[in-house]
Parts: sequence; C-alpha cells; structure tokens
Amino acid sequence: MMAASSWLKRLRAIVRIVRMALYALRAYRLRSAFVIAAIALGIASLTIIIASIDGAERKADEIMEMFGPDAAFVIGGATNTRAVGWRGLTLTYADVRRIRAELPGAYLTVPMRAKSNITLRYRDRSVEVPILVGSTEGYADAWNWPLVEGRDFSTDDVDRGAKVTLLADAPALALFGESSPLGETVFINDVPMQVIGRLAYRGMPSMGASIDDRLVIPITTLTQRYNMDRKYVRALRVKFRDPENMAFHTENLRALLRDQHRLDTGEDDDFTVLTAEEILKFITMFKGGLVAFLGITAAVAILVGGFVLANLFYLSVSERRSEIGLKKALGAKNRAIMLQFLAEAVALTLIGALFGMALGMGIGQFLDRLGLLQILFSWKIFFHSLLASGAIGIVFGLKPARQAAALPPVEALKGV
Amino acid sequence: MSGAALIRLRGVDKRYQQGELAVEVLKGIDLDIAAGEFVALLGPSGSGKSTLMHILGLLDRPSSGSYYLAGEDVASHDDDRLSELRNRAIGFIFQTFYLVPYLSALENVVLPGLYGPESGRHLRQRAEELLVQVGLSERLDFRPSQLSGGQQQRVAIARALLCSPQVLLADEPTGQLDSNTSAEIMELLAGIHRRGHTVILVTHDHATAAFAQRRIVLNDGCIVLA
Repeated sequence: MMAASSWLKRLRAIVRIVRMALYALRAYRLRSAFVIAAIALGIASLTIIIASIDGAERKADEIMEMFGPDAAFVIGGATNTRAVGWRGLTLTYADVRRIRAELPGAYLTVPMRAKSNITLRYRDRSVEVPILVGSTEGYADAWNWPLVEGRDFSTDDVDRGAKVTLLADAPALALFGESSPLGETVFINDVPMQVIGRLAYRGMPSMGASIDDRLVIPITTLTQRYNMDRKYVRALRVKFRDPENMAFHTENLRALLRDQHRLDTGEDDDFTVLTAEEILKFITMFKGGLVAFLGITAAVAILVGGFVLANLFYLSVSERRSEIGLKKALGAKNRAIMLQFLAEAVALTLIGALFGMALGMGIGQFLDRLGLLQILFSWKIFFHSLLASGAIGIVFGLKPARQAAALPPVEALKGV
Repeated sequence: MSGAALIRLRGVDKRYQQGELAVEVLKGIDLDIAAGEFVALLGPSGSGKSTLMHILGLLDRPSSGSYYLAGEDVASHDDDRLSELRNRAIGFIFQTFYLVPYLSALENVVLPGLYGPESGRHLRQRAEELLVQVGLSERLDFRPSQLSGGQQQRVAIARALLCSPQVLLADEPTGQLDSNTSAEIMELLAGIHRRGHTVILVTHDHATAAFAQRRIVLNDGCIVLA
C-alpha cells in the first residue's frame, strides 16, 4: 500500500513536470518550430530510406516470384560488334531448335519478339497498347503466368500463323470490362484476331509501363502480318528441371549458344543470360547503393537536427536561468529541472518525427509516382522514426538539461 | 518564545574564493529568530545581507557554522533535501517577482505545490483562496504581463504562502514599486504576520523596515545590531 502510493506520487510528479514542459514549448513557439523543422527533415529522410529499402525488397520478391527460380531469360545483343538497330538481333530460330533438341534439363523453350505501340480496336472502341508480344505455345507456362480463362496457343496456331491473341489484364479490362472476351474478334493495327485467352492480373510496373498492358500473338503471326524479318527472335525463355542445378544449366546454355553462334574463345557473348540469381544480385547491389546514399543523407540530416536542438536548448537554458532558479527556490529538485528540459527536448523531437514522417511519406509518394523508387510504408517506419527522434531528444537534450539542473539556485536567480 | 528558536545560526561564515583572494562575506554570524516574529534585515549593499538571506532561505550553504531550522541541523543537507525543505518550510518573495511568464496567475501560485505531495485539485482550490486573500479574485487567469507590478507582487505573495511555510523570506519586496504600492504590499505582509506567520524582510530602506518589529543590521559581514 505504501509502496503503491509512493509510486503513484512519483508518476504524478512526472506528469506535472511534463505538462509544465509542454506549456513552455507553447510559450517559446518560434524556438520550438525551429527544432521541430530541423528534426522533421532528418526523420523525413529516415522515413524515405526505410520505405525505399522495404520497397526494393518487396520488388525483389515480386521479380523473383515472376521470374521463377527454375528459368533463364536470354536476351540477344552484342553491343560492341553490331550496327545500331541490329544489336538486339542475335538469337535465331535455329538457336531455339537446337536448345529444344540438345540442352539437357531444359523442358520448355519459348522465343519472343515484340512490336511496340500498337492500336487495339474492338467494335467502336480502341486503346493504345505499349507492347505486342509474339511467342509460341507455352508462353503462359514459361512466365508462370496463369490464364484466367481460355487457352494458350497450340502448336497448330503457331505453325499456321493463326490470327489468335491472348489479352493481358489491362487491354481486356479496357475493352471488355468484366465480361468475357473469349471468341470475340479484335483488331490489332487493323488486323483482325480472335481472342482465345485472358492472362491473369500481375500488377507489376516494369520500366514505367505496366506488365499487364500487353497483347500476345503467335510469333509467326507477328512476323507475317506486320512485316518483320523471319530469322531472328528478340529473347528466349528457357525453363529447366532441377532448379538446384541452375548454375550448371546456365553454363550449358551459354556454351551451347556460343557454339551455335560460332564464337571463338576470347570473344564476348553476343547475348545475355539472366537468371533469378542474377537479378537478385543486381537488386542487392541497388539496395546497397540506396542504403549508402540515403543512409548518409539521413544520418547527416538527423545529426544536424540534433545539433540545432542542442544549440537552441543551450540558449534556452541560459535565457531561462531565472525560471530555473525560481523553480529551485520553490523546491524543484535537480532531477525535476532536468526532467523538464529533457521532456521539452523529447516532446519537440517526437512532434518533429510526426511531421517528418508525413513529409517523408509525401516525398516518397511523389518519387513513387515518378517511378524513381518503389516505396513501402509500414508500422516499422513509424516505430523506427519515433525511436530515432526520441533518442535524438535524449542524446542532444541531455547535456543542456544537465547544465540547467546543475545551476546553483543563487547563481540562477542572479542571472536576469 | 518557548525554548528553541525557529531559526538558530551559530558561528556562520561564508567565504568565496576569488582567484587567489578569499573574500569573507559573512563572519561568525549568531542569530536567533523565534516563530511568529517579523524581522527586518537591514544593511548597505555589500554588507552580506543577500548572502545571509540565501543561507536563511536554504539557497546556499554556510562555509562553516551551524544552522538549525525548527531544531533540524540543515547546514550539511544535500541538494535534494534542501529542495524538499525549501518547498515546505520557506516561502520566497523577490524584488523582481519572478513569475513564470507563460503561466497564468493561478498557475504561478500553484507552482510550488507541483513539487510537493499534495493533489492538484486541493492545490488549485488553495491557490484560488490565496489569490482572493491578496485581492486578485478577478485576475486568476491573467498572465504576468497583463498585471501591474503591485499585482504581480501579490501573486508572488500568494505563491509564497501556498505550502504554508514556516518562514516567509521577502527580499526587497518593494524595490520595484512606487511608494503607494509599496505601502500596500507592506500592509499585506504585516497582515500576514499578524495571522501568525514568521516574516523576514531584507531591505536597505528604513521606511520599509519600520513595518517590522525587530531590526537586525548587518555591516561588513557582521551583525552590528540585533
């Protein structure tokens, strides 16, 4: 009973001192505003850094999931040795046939070509679609991309150059809404095509455009109907059994393509093999750069905020000497004075943190919308920011608060 | 005056070190003040009366000698115990009022109570009563800057009385006030004394000192008249 009531009294004393600290903050508005602004900038950068790292991490997960751990993606290209415009075209149908026939472990090889910025029309409505992909049977499987309705291409479709198409989510939604597009005839750059399937929503931005904003037709149809050369393909997607042997598979694939392209030892590859591992490496590197760059920025901003706080509090302590002396004369103990100044510092940094988070999220959303960074907000950010700002308040407020507490009452009262 | 005095100083010295030079501000002060007295502490500036007031008010410690406050030897108490003792035993009234500028009159009066054990509601009620007593019932929510000098000193007097201290220490309480207002403030202090409080008035002004029953005159660190 005794212990409980003394504990309560102590709590009440703390509440009273904190309330006094808040009064003082209101009284010294301009100074408070400066500290809040300084801390807010630091916390804003901290918010952005955590949000963008989380964003990059989620993006990595998504890319991994889409890319699949069991697949390689081969992009044609010899940037050094070929004329502009032909650089990308180094992979041929002969490569595809040879991989299908000879590469151990590969069970699905799908070539791709693309045509950009086409017009898709259905009845009296039309939409611009950024990319028209030509591929073969197995396209949906190769990309782990399920069809919500309809079917993938058949071998027959590809052999005949059939005028059939798969709609990804965006064009399907634009032209058909929720109703089924199956069996309908659409016009792709004025060529009539029958819709045979609809790809599921993927929801991932890739290089600015949504991955869902695309059409897929047989690669033969693409080259025949839109007058493209019939020898080359732009990229290959190869899926393997035994994903644990991916390093081995990738090396085999590379060796096979080098042999097929008659590259001598010492010559550079005229293609690039991408695997999930490869992409992950790149993302990790990107993330590391992000942490270093934003981390330094955030650290500097927070440090500056801390120094502004400490400076203004030293000023505050010397300006408020008589208040400190008076409170001591009235019976405030040293720790009550210290607690008041610390409470003022921490309250300011916490308020600064809230503004900083709002600012950081605003800037983050802006960067996100510009496509510069993917941003992911979470409670983690909230708690990290509060923790960081509380720490700034205590670390940078402690010295001035101690100085205030240590003032002898007689000295403090004289100092008017 | 039954037995022990409320305040008893014996051989109190106060020395300051100024570089090589030791300055002796108080020299062997012996002083007894009984409960209920109204004492004026007089002396020219530099006589040591401010230093003596600080020691009496537990704001400073003697360099040597003993100080018994209500029988308790307080000369060697640490900061925390001195704070506690100041809170409940001493009420201060200063020349420049020392009101907290961002608190209302009522909040200023409540202030010393916030460092003590009493409940907030009780403190506010008592603060209101005291402000009524000093004639400021209409000004409870005014800021110091909205009050005249005399009114500010009344707030300070109400604040000094909040914790029912054993000793009221008034350091030049009329130093910043015109003569009419000074007389009002001194009447107020005399009234407080008549209700049984011990009042120690520090002043260099003999007219002000005339309100007290007893004069103690300090010169060059020694009591020349007690």
